[in-house]
Amino acid sequence: MKKIKRLAIAALMSTAATGAFSQDPLEIVFTVHSGASNTFWQAVQKGYEDACTKIAANCQMVYVQTDGSIPEQVANMEAAIARGPDALITSIVDNTAFDDVIQRARDAGIVVIASNVDDLEGAAGNARQAFVGQGFEPAGYGLARSQWANMPKEGPLHILVGVSGPGQNWSETRALGVTNFLDEMIAANPDRKITYEKIDSGTDLAITSDRVGAYLSARPETNAYFDTGFWHAGVAGVLRDRGVPPGQVLLGGFDLVPVVLDEMDTGYIQVAVDQQPYEQGFLPVMMVYLAKTVGLAPVNINTGEALVYPKDVASVRELSEKGLR
Amino acid sequence: MRRLFKLSLQKPELVSAVLLIVLALVFQMSSNAAFLSLDNMRGILGLLPETALVAVGVTLLMICGEFDLSVGSVFALMPMTMAVLIVGGWPFWLAVLTGLALCAFIGFLNGWLTIRFDIPSFITTLGMMFMARSMTVVVSGGFPPRIKPGEVPSWMFVGFVDDGNLIRASVLWFAGIAILIALLLARTNFGNWIRATGGFMPAAAAMGIPTGKVKIACFMICSVLAGFAGMIQSLRLNSFLPSIGEGMELQAVAAAVIGGTSLAGGIGSILGGLIGATLIRVIDNGMVMSQVDASWFKFAIGALTIFAVVGNAWLRRRGRAMKVETDK
Repeated sequence: MKKIKRLAIAALMSTAATGAFSQDPLEIVFTVHSGASNTFWQAVQKGYEDACTKIAANCQMVYVQTDGSIPEQVANMEAAIARGPDALITSIVDNTAFDDVIQRARDAGIVVIASNVDDLEGAAGNARQAFVGQGFEPAGYGLARSQWANMPKEGPLHILVGVSGPGQNWSETRALGVTNFLDEMIAANPDRKITYEKIDSGTDLAITSDRVGAYLSARPETNAYFDTGFWHAGVAGVLRDRGVPPGQVLLGGFDLVPVVLDEMDTGYIQVAVDQQPYEQGFLPVMMVYLAKTVGLAPVNINTGEALVYPKDVASVRELSEKGLR
Repeated sequence: MRRLFKLSLQKPELVSAVLLIVLALVFQMSSNAAFLSLDNMRGILGLLPETALVAVGVTLLMICGEFDLSVGSVFALMPMTMAVLIVGGWPFWLAVLTGLALCAFIGFLNGWLTIRFDIPSFITTLGMMFMARSMTVVVSGGFPPRIKPGEVPSWMFVGFVDDGNLIRASVLWFAGIAILIALLLARTNFGNWIRATGGFMPAAAAMGIPTGKVKIACFMICSVLAGFAGMIQSLRLNSFLPSIGEGMELQAVAAAVIGGTSLAGGIGSILGGLIGATLIRVIDNGMVMSQVDASWFKFAIGALTIFAVVGNAWLRRRGRAMKVETDK
C-alpha cells in the first residue's frame, strides 16, 4: 500500500513539474461524420496527426459508429466541448444540425474550423470561423466540364449521375455541380438531344457496380457515368466483364484511392477530382496554432478541385500510397 | 395429391420462391426484357454468391437458434488480413488459410462467450461486430493494401468458367458449399442435432446432444463463410477496402427470414436462405433496371420481410389445418 502511495505521489510531482516548466500543449478535437473504415478519412487523419506532432498538441480524431450519423457526430462534439479543448475541427454535413453546438463552442472560447464539408451557406450558415476543403459544387462542375471534352461530338447523349449519399451535403452538392454543367450544355445545344438521370448509387464498390451495371443494361445508350465518390471504380470492372472497351462509357468521380488509379491506368476512368485529404487534416491544425499563439484569424482554404488524368497517375500513386493524397 | 399440397404449404421457403418468380417476371416486363439479359445476369451472378454465402451461414446459425451480427465486419476483416499478409511477403495460400483461421477463431469466440456466460448471441456478436470492424482498420493501418492484378490467383475464385463470360468460379464455390451445408443439415446426425438444438434446447440436451458444441460449430461455420465471401468480393473487385460489408448482417438476417427461417430457431432451410438472398439482389437490381427510384430499395426489403414472414406463418397454419386421408 505504501509503495502504491509513493508511486502516486511521484507521478503527481512529475506531472506538476512538467506543467511548471513547459507551456500546456494545445488540445484539439476533430469530429467527423464518417466511420473509421472509410479509406478517405485515413489520409485526413494522417495529415491531422502529422500536424499535431509538429506543434506537440494533444489531438483526438473522433469517428461515428454509423457512417453519416449526424446525431452521433453532434453528441461527439458535445462531449468534446465538455472537455474544454482549445479547438474543435469538424465536418459540417448538415445546414442546421450543428449551428447550436458550434455557437456554444465559440461562446466557450473554442476555435471552430470546418474541414472537408461546410454548411451550404458558408460562413453565414453558422459560427464556424473558417473552412478548409473542397468547394463541392465547383468540383462537380469542373469534373463534368473536363469529361465533356471526351464525349461524342455529335448525336444524342445520355448521362448517368450516381448520388452516393442521398441527402448528404457532400454528395448532393457534387451531383448538383455535375448537373448544373449538364443543364448548361443542354441549353447551349438546343438541336442535340442531351439527357441525364440521377440514381442512388450507394457507397460500396460491389453495390455501385451492380446498380450501375443494371442501369447500363436497361439504358445501353448511356455515354457516361459520374459518381460523387470513388465507387465508379467498381463500374470499370463491369464494363471490362462485358467486353466494353475503355472510353465507350466514360467514367469520372472523386478521390484518389488505389483502385481508382488502377482503373485510370487501364483507361476506363478518364478523370478524377482530388481534394487533398491530407491537407484537410493538416492545415486546420496549423490555423489553430496560429490563432492560439499569435492571434491570427483562421481563413478559408480551398484544398482542391484539382483534376487528375491518366497521365498523372504515376506521380500521384506514390503520394497516394504514402497516404498524402 | 392433397397430401402433397399440404406438405408444400408447410415448406418454409414456398412464399419466397413464388415471390422470386413473380418479381423476376415483373422486372423482365418492366425493363423491356433487359432484366434477364446476359449482361444483367452477369452482374447479379457476380454479387449473389458473395451475399448468399453469408446468408447461408446466418441461416444455419439461426436454425441452431442463434444470431451473428458480426458477419459484415468479418466479411471485411478476412480479406484485409489476407491482403496485408500478402503485401508483407506471405504466400497466397498461407495468407488465405490464416485469414480463414482468424474467422474460425472469431466464430469460436462468439459461440464460447455466448454459451459460457449464457448471454444472448445478439449481444455477443454485436460487440464482435464493432471489434472486428475496428480490427480491420487497425490491421490495414487505415490505408488499403494494393495487390496488383495478376499477382494472386484470383481466377480460381472469380474467373469466368464459361465462354460466354457469365458464370464465375465464385458461383461454383458457392454452389458446392451450399450443397455441402444443405446435405450436412438434411442427411447427417449433426444436422439433426442443429435442428434439435435450435428447436428446443433443453430437450436436445436431455437427449445427450452436446448443444454447446453444436452451437459453437455453427458460429464457426457462419464466420468462416462470411470471411470467405469477403475474400471473393475483394478478389473480384481487386480492391481491399475496410468498409466493405457494412450493413450486410441485417441483409443476411433478412434473407434468412424471407427464406422461411424461424427467428426462434429449429425451422428453416439452406435453400430458403439462398432464395431470400436472391430476392434481395433481384429487388435491388430490378428496381434500378425498371428505373424506379432506388431510394425505395430499403422500403421494399422491409415490406418483403414482413410479407414473407406473415405469408409463411399463414401458409403453415393452413397446411396444418388441412385434413388429408391417412392410409388404412
